[in-house]
Amino acid sequence: MGKVTGFLEYPRKSPLKLPIADRVKNYREFELPPAEETLKEQGARCMDCGVPFCNTGCPLGNLIPDWNDHTYRGLAREAIDALHATNNFPEITGRVCPAPCEAACVLGINSDPVAIKLIERATADRAIEQGWIQPMPPASRSGKKVAVVGAGPAGLAAAQQLARAGHLVTVFDRDDRAGGLLTYGIPDFKMEKGLVDRRVEQMTQEGVTFKLGVDVGKDITGADLKRDFDAVLLTIGSRVPRDLPVPGRELDGIHFAMDFLTQQNRRVAGKEVYGAPILAEGKKVVVIGGGDTGSDCIGTSHRQGAVSVTNFEIMPKPPEQRAESTPWPLWPLMMRTSTSHEEGGERRFSVTTDRFIGKDGKVVALECSEVTIEGGKLVQVPGSEFTVEADLVLLAMGFVHPEKQGIVEQLGVELDARGNIKVDPKTFQTSVPGVFAAGDCQRGQSLVVWGIADGRKAARGIDMMLVGSSDLPLGNRADPRFVL
Amino acid sequence: MTLISPPPHHDIYSIEDLAQLIFDLKMVNPKARISVKLVAEAGVGTVAAGVAKAHADVILISGYDGGTGASPLTSIKHAGVPWELGLSETHQVLVKNDLRSRVILQTDGQLRTGRDVVIAALLGAEEFGFATAPLVASGCILMRKCHLNTCPVGIATQDPVLRKRFEGKPEHVIRFMFYVAEEARELMAALGFRTLEEMVGHTELIGLRNDLHWKASRLDFTDLLSGVSAPPSVGRHKMIEQDHGLDGSLDIKLIELCKPALDDKTPIHHELTVRNVDRTVGAMLSGEVARRFGPHGLPTDTIRLTFTGTGGQSFGAFVASGITLELKGASNDYLGKGMSGGIIAVQPGPGATFVAADNIIVGNTTLYGATSGKAFIAGRAGERFCVRNSGATAVVEGVGDHGCEYMTGGRVICLGTTGRNFGAGMSGGLAFVLDDDGRFRARCNMEMVELEGVSPEDASFLADILEEHVARTGSAKAKSCLLHWEQTLSSFIKVVPTEFRRVMEQLAQSQGQSAPVPRRDSLKVISPKPDSVKH
Repeated sequence: MGKVTGFLEYPRKSPLKLPIADRVKNYREFELPPAEETLKEQGARCMDCGVPFCNTGCPLGNLIPDWNDHTYRGLAREAIDALHATNNFPEITGRVCPAPCEAACVLGINSDPVAIKLIERATADRAIEQGWIQPMPPASRSGKKVAVVGAGPAGLAAAQQLARAGHLVTVFDRDDRAGGLLTYGIPDFKMEKGLVDRRVEQMTQEGVTFKLGVDVGKDITGADLKRDFDAVLLTIGSRVPRDLPVPGRELDGIHFAMDFLTQQNRRVAGKEVYGAPILAEGKKVVVIGGGDTGSDCIGTSHRQGAVSVTNFEIMPKPPEQRAESTPWPLWPLMMRTSTSHEEGGERRFSVTTDRFIGKDGKVVALECSEVTIEGGKLVQVPGSEFTVEADLVLLAMGFVHPEKQGIVEQLGVELDARGNIKVDPKTFQTSVPGVFAAGDCQRGQSLVVWGIADGRKAARGIDMMLVGSSDLPLGNRADPRFVL
Repeated sequence: MTLISPPPHHDIYSIEDLAQLIFDLKMVNPKARISVKLVAEAGVGTVAAGVAKAHADVILISGYDGGTGASPLTSIKHAGVPWELGLSETHQVLVKNDLRSRVILQTDGQLRTGRDVVIAALLGAEEFGFATAPLVASGCILMRKCHLNTCPVGIATQDPVLRKRFEGKPEHVIRFMFYVAEEARELMAALGFRTLEEMVGHTELIGLRNDLHWKASRLDFTDLLSGVSAPPSVGRHKMIEQDHGLDGSLDIKLIELCKPALDDKTPIHHELTVRNVDRTVGAMLSGEVARRFGPHGLPTDTIRLTFTGTGGQSFGAFVASGITLELKGASNDYLGKGMSGGIIAVQPGPGATFVAADNIIVGNTTLYGATSGKAFIAGRAGERFCVRNSGATAVVEGVGDHGCEYMTGGRVICLGTTGRNFGAGMSGGLAFVLDDDGRFRARCNMEMVELEGVSPEDASFLADILEEHVARTGSAKAKSCLLHWEQTLSSFIKVVPTEFRRVMEQLAQSQGQSAPVPRRDSLKVISPKPDSVKH
């Protein structure tokens, strides 16, 4: 498959991007589609490995060598079909997935990995262009009703799988639009929201009912769901953010990242923005947390017209190349520069915030110090204290667990030690029969691709319970919790 | 160039053939241990007993798990059983027949750990083969592309660009093997053994796990683990050497006779008689030449030995460069097996009353696996002539069925009729067949070859080689061919493997020349008649 000597002939090509000066003027996507020939060459680089680590590196078990080969041969339709066989929303993962497949790519051992994500996105975008994303309603209906709580990636994937298996699925979400963090977390410049809308439309035609703006736990109780549905799937995400309880936290101008990002996404969508506006325009912004959310805050701040953007990360600066502690095919610990980092701002590592300093109730500066790791613990370096001016501080330090009050308490599902919902890793059923959970609410904060993967597996678990057997795919077994 | 894989062994159709092959190999290198690899399967013990009686020094029982990346999937998936089964059966059969003490029993097939080694020893092995695991230790990532020359980690390739990517070090393999040895040591200590030999065959130390899957738990392992009862006098591991019977071979005398040539390259010629009990004549001598002078041997005809009588099996096997064996009489099967640069010339004995070209004077499987050298046979050969020849030139005056099967190189000139299935699986080399009766096409297997006439270059090659044939054997047939040269050339059919033509054309292109192998439609034979016909 592929071109036998392709990996020796063609170099890896990353997607071309609009110049920074142009792209920070708006919230549109800025990656340019590859030329047809480039795309084929990138497909030709796939070696069709005897043991394709990309396939197991991908939480979804995407059939990567297959669609790489289709791409090389110019078989766009075959490529999207192979992609859809394991992935409900390739146009989404093709944009926002950090591509663990590429980290696991065999070519990456001693060369640049195959541009799998580029191929995935191009394949999915081509399918949209060609009108190949069509509803696939089931031939017959089971008559069983399933409630999905939360319209994030896990909920949407599960709902689509269940609808295609013939069940009547109702998806609830407290937001006015479906997508969860896809819609109100990830900035538009990384993924435009029409993509989610297209999928919602497809699923509606497949028989999924969306009840948006309904806060399950308040508007509808757990008891209601158990009474009205044959199965309940919780895909409520891990929405409780990690806080920074240091002196001055209560000052004005210190916000959780998600409040900031959601407001901007609503603004772009032309929706009403709730609460006082959080804007970076004309401000010195400090983003605390060096992960993807932090990076999104940086990109958004640039676009809003921040005077300066500083990013703090508590962990030390990782090496430029794959760290020795994470050899191939593991997910590499290494310095990553996101497109938002490219756009500007300062990054500081090994920094902890000791105190926020305020004036007139508003934050004006941060007192920080450097830390080192000693014996596995972070220790402050004496005498390293410094002060950074800031009038907007965004906390992007991750999420700890799902919200407990509301549906989780009402259904009485058991939680694990970390406060996530405990499930049987094979079926995704919680401690309460008939109640399942998938995505971040049972895994902890993670990737979109894990959400989709969990959703698909949970759909199978639900299908098994409802009809005793299931034709839905088992999915990848890359999840270490999954035991045969 | 494509090679047929896995290679069929057309020199082994019976246990006697195998015994002969073991003898041949032992003759050419008496110091080598001859190992016979058997796939673990039901009944492998019986085969192994035969192999032990055929004087193998080592028997390797190979499990079904292994296989190189180039193996066909069908072989990987559907051939053999676990080595544990084959090994246990083999060990038991060998002990019961008191054959175990003369062979080393080896096993392989995805051995990876010290525990594997210990279990294999307890089931009867004293040597253990590792391939995949040390390969992985040195960087193999199981690409299964070993046959494509694209190994991205530079292991299964000789391409310098890919070789650069190889990051393995000997230390990686050493470290791996130390771990294996260390684990094996720990287990041996726990079991109370000091040496591997002590441990061999102690199946009573293998127990069954009690946490087996319900299906596996119903398997009956009694036969596998019950051990074998035999009197204490019967050895249970390798204790004595095989008697290969090399002492009485004619080659010991030949080496003595050829001492001047072996010591200081003095050309010599001797005349001797040979009988059909003299097997593998010339192999030990060839081994001696190779040992002293390397693969290129001695100058042509340095050692010239003329035999009268009947050559036994494998006359001239592995004959080395610089050795010429002339045989006046006839020869048994495997003449010139594995020929390695020497010359063999066979003609009917003095006083033969038959017409040489109409009679078989050498047996089956002549020149099997020959790599270089020349053979001149003034008479017909039996079946499977030049099978797997990869570089030798042979002149013969007729062959039986399956001539040139799986041939990959060299030249065959056949001055008489062939049997059926000529050129089956032939991917390289050329054959020139004198199609006297006009029926060769029907007897040729056309799957991989194309037929055409001879080119002017071919004609001059043929004239030269037939002249040499006449010079070395006095062949009446060749003389007649040379006398009627125009007619001879028009009767020759050239057999060109399609694959070979492709490679030759590529080669010619890369050297900026026109293709040396012309298409059949461009044929027009114009060739001078040879100036003189000697003898």
